[in-house]
Amino acid sequence: MPEIFVGKLWDQLVSGATASNSEDTTVLFEEIVKPASILFRALGGDQGLALKTAQSTIHQGKQNWLQQLSGIEQKVELAWCDDEALYLPASINLLPQDRLNRELYFWLAALAVEMRPGLWFIENQQATLRLLEKFPGLQARYQRLVYALLSLRPEITTLSYDSAIQEQAIYQALIKPGSISLLPSAPNPWFPIYLWFHPTPPFGGNNQLIPPKKLAEFEPSDDTQSTAKDQRRHKAERQEIQERKDGFMMFFRAESILTWAEYIKVNRPTEDDENTDAKRAADEMETITVTRDGKQTASRIRFDLDLPPEDSDETKLESGILLPEWHYKKQLYLKDYCCLQPVVATNTKTCQLPVHLAAVARRIRHQFESLTSVRTWLRKQTEGTEVDVDAYINHLVEVKSGTFKTDLQLYKTHQIQERNLSCLLLADLSQSTDAYVNNHARVIDVIRDSLFLFSEALSATADQFGLYGFSSLRRDNVRFYTIKAFAEKYNDQIRGRINAIKPGYYTRMGAAIRQAGKLLAQQTTHQRILLLLTDGKPNDLDRYEGRYGIEDTRQALREIRQQGIKPFCITIDEKAGSYLPYLFGTGGYVVIRQPSELPRQLLSLYAQLTV
Amino acid sequence: MTKAAIHIAAATDQHAASEVPFYQPHGDEVELFEHAYNKQLPLLIKGPTGCGKTRFVMHMAARLKRPLYTVSCHDDLTATDLVGRHLVNDSGTYWNDGPLTRAVRNGGICYLDEIVEARKDTAVVLHPLTDDRRILPLERTGETLQAPVQFMLVVSYNPGYQSFLKGMKPSTRQRFVSLRFNFLDAAQEQQVVIAETGIDLVTAKQLVKLASALRALKQHDLEEVASTRLVVYAAALIKNGFAPIEACRAALVEALTDDEEVTAALMEVVYACFGE
Repeated sequence: MPEIFVGKLWDQLVSGATASNSEDTTVLFEEIVKPASILFRALGGDQGLALKTAQSTIHQGKQNWLQQLSGIEQKVELAWCDDEALYLPASINLLPQDRLNRELYFWLAALAVEMRPGLWFIENQQATLRLLEKFPGLQARYQRLVYALLSLRPEITTLSYDSAIQEQAIYQALIKPGSISLLPSAPNPWFPIYLWFHPTPPFGGNNQLIPPKKLAEFEPSDDTQSTAKDQRRHKAERQEIQERKDGFMMFFRAESILTWAEYIKVNRPTEDDENTDAKRAADEMETITVTRDGKQTASRIRFDLDLPPEDSDETKLESGILLPEWHYKKQLYLKDYCCLQPVVATNTKTCQLPVHLAAVARRIRHQFESLTSVRTWLRKQTEGTEVDVDAYINHLVEVKSGTFKTDLQLYKTHQIQERNLSCLLLADLSQSTDAYVNNHARVIDVIRDSLFLFSEALSATADQFGLYGFSSLRRDNVRFYTIKAFAEKYNDQIRGRINAIKPGYYTRMGAAIRQAGKLLAQQTTHQRILLLLTDGKPNDLDRYEGRYGIEDTRQALREIRQQGIKPFCITIDEKAGSYLPYLFGTGGYVVIRQPSELPRQLLSLYAQLTV
Repeated sequence: MTKAAIHIAAATDQHAASEVPFYQPHGDEVELFEHAYNKQLPLLIKGPTGCGKTRFVMHMAARLKRPLYTVSCHDDLTATDLVGRHLVNDSGTYWNDGPLTRAVRNGGICYLDEIVEARKDTAVVLHPLTDDRRILPLERTGETLQAPVQFMLVVSYNPGYQSFLKGMKPSTRQRFVSLRFNFLDAAQEQQVVIAETGIDLVTAKQLVKLASALRALKQHDLEEVASTRLVVYAAALIKNGFAPIEACRAALVEALTDDEEVTAALMEVVYACFGE
C-alpha cells in the first residue's frame, strides 16, 4: 500500500515539524506546582487560591506555513486567574533550556500576585512594572525571559504592515513595560505572549444558563485513574438538548449528528473501555458540551467544568438539624441553611471482628494498653521503688533542726497519669470512597478496617470515643451517620454498624464538622479531638465546591477551635497539600500515600497526637 | 540532681547593667510594662519566636534598674526548680534558693520564658505570687516571703509553638496582664537590623522584604516563620562579607524547613528579593 506509506511519512514530516520544541527541556506543571504556589503566596498571593493547569485554547494567531498546511490549529496554554484558582500551563517547553522554562513558570506565578482587573494590554504591563518594583531581584530574570521569548516571535519584516506595527508595539511593551498604552489593531491576531496572562480567559464566555441542579446529575465519579492532567479546566459550554415538540424533526436532522470534537454527551453511561477515548477526545476538544437530559451517569471522565454555580435558592429548611453555612463572598452566615439528618442504622446485623483483622487487633490492643499509662515519678511516698534524695535531704534537715515528722516519706514511685480525653472520629462516606485503592480493596474497605482497628485500640484505653460518618446530597440532605455514640459501648452491635458502612454521595464537610463539634462540646473531658478521615476536598452538587466549600469548611473548623476542640485531618488525597494547610494548618493534617496503610497509620498518629 | 543543677545554671542572674540593651518598641509596650511594674501586676507576653520578647524584658529590667532572673522553661521543670531545694555539702545540708525565690528576695524581675513548657505543678507556686497577696510560701524552710514592690513576674509563651494538645490553662492565663507581640513593621525592623549589625540600609530593606514575604507562608507552608532574630543573623553574615544569597540560604531558608522542595521554593523568594 504505497499510498498509506507515503501518507504516514507525510504526516510524520508535517506534524513532526510543527511540534515546536524538543522534549527534554519540557517542564511539567506537576514538577513546579509546589514551589510555584509557595512563591505565589510568599509574594503576597491569595492563600485560598489553588494552582491548576490551564486548558489549552485555540489561538488564532500566526502560524507558519507547515502548521497551516498540516491543518493544526495552534493551541496554546496561557496563564489566567479567577477567584478560585490560578491556572498555569500543563507543561512549558517553549524555551531551549529547562531552566528558562522553569523560570517562566515562576514568573507567571509571581505576576499573578500583581494582576488586577483592567484592560488586558495595559494591565499586563502595569502588573509587570509593579512586580519588578516590589521585587527588583526579578529584573534580571525578566530580561532573560523577554530576550528568550522575543526570539520566538515572528520576524517583523515578514509581517503585513498593520501586523508589523502591532508587533512593534508588543516588542516595546515587553522590553519597556508601561511604555505603550494602546495596542494597534491588525486584521490578524498577534502571536501569543507567553509572559503575560490570557487575553480572553476561557471562563465566562458562554452564559446560556441552565440550573446546575440538572447539570449536577452529571456526577463525576472520582476515579482513581484520573490524573493531575485532568485538573485542567475544560472550557465548558452548557447546551440544552432542545426538547422540540415536533420531535421527529429533531430526530432525523442530519446536522444533529455531530463529530466528537463538537458534541459529547458526557452524562450518558459509558463503558469502561470508552474511558480513554472520551478522555482523549475531551483533551482535544475546545469545548465540551454538557447536556441536561438529566440521566444518571457513570461517566469516568473527570474534570472541573467552568460552569458558574447557580444562584442558589434561599428557602428555609424545616425538618432535621438546621445548621448555618458560611458564604465567603458575602462574609456572612446563611442561617439555617443546611439540614442535617442524623441517621442511626438500627437493623444492622451484629458481627464479630473480621478474621483478617483479629491478629493485628490483638497486637494493637496490647500496644494501646501501655499507651494509657503515661508514667511519671511520684515523689515523697511512704514506699516506692527508689529513694527520693530530695526528700531524704529534707528529712536530714528536719532531724537536725529537731522538727522531723514520724511518718517518713522518703521514696519515689512511678505514677500512672490519667488521660482525660475524648475523640470523635468523623469518616467521609462520600461516593468517591467507592474507588479501588488496589486490586483487593476500595477506599471504603480501608476506612472500615480503620474504624474497626481504631475502636479495638481505643476500647483498650480509657479514652472516650465516638464514631460518625457523613455524606451529603445538597444542603437539605446532609446525612450524619452515628456508628458509635460516645455513651455506647463498643460491642458486636457497633461492629455490625461499622461493617454496614457504604459509600454515599457528596462531601459537605462544613455541616458535618459543625455537628461533630456540637457532639464533642457535650463531652466533659479535658481534651477533645476531632479526627477527620477523608479522601478528597469538600464538594456537593450545588455551589458547594471549590473555594466556596473550602471557605465554609475553614470557617467551621475555626468555630470548633474556638470551643477548645482540636481538629486533625487524615487524608489519602495526594493533592491535599494544596488545600489542607489552608484548613488545618501545617501541623494539623497528614497525607497517607498508601491508602492500604491507613488503618495502621491512623493508630500510630492517634498515639503520637495524644501522648 | 544533675538535671536540677542544670536548671539552676540556666537561670541566670543578670544584674542591672549600666548599658540598656537596644530595643525597638512596637507600640506602647514600654509604657504598659512600666505601669504594670508600678502597680505590681504580673505580665504575660505572647508572640512568635524571635520577635523580641526576651530582648524586651532585658531592656525593661535595665531601664528599671532591676536585676533580671531568666528561666527557660522545659517539660522537666518543676516547682522545686523554681523555688529552691536543700543541697548537701561537707558540713551537712543547706538550702539553696531557686531563681524565683532569689528574685522575690532581691526585688528583681523574674522572667519565665515559654511557661507552657513547664510542668503543671509550677502553677501552684505562681498563683499566690500573681494575685494581690504577692507571697511565696517556702514549704521546705517554713518561710513565707512577701514580695517587695520591686518584684515583678513576667512570663512568655508562643501561642503557635505548642504541641498539638498543649496550651496555657485559662485559670493561669487570666492572672496576668497580657501583651501580644508581633513582628515589627518594615521600617522598624530595618532599624533593628541596622542597629544590631551595622548593615547598610539597602541590604536591610531587602532582608526585611524577604522576611515579610516568608512570613506570608505561615501555617500554610511553614510551621514557624522567619523571626527578626534570623534576619539579624543573615545581616550579620552579610556584614561580615558573606554572599547575600548564601547568607539568606543559611540563616533563613535552611533554618525554616527541612523539605527540599520547600527549600527550592523559598530560594525563589530569595532570588526575587536579591536577584541571582
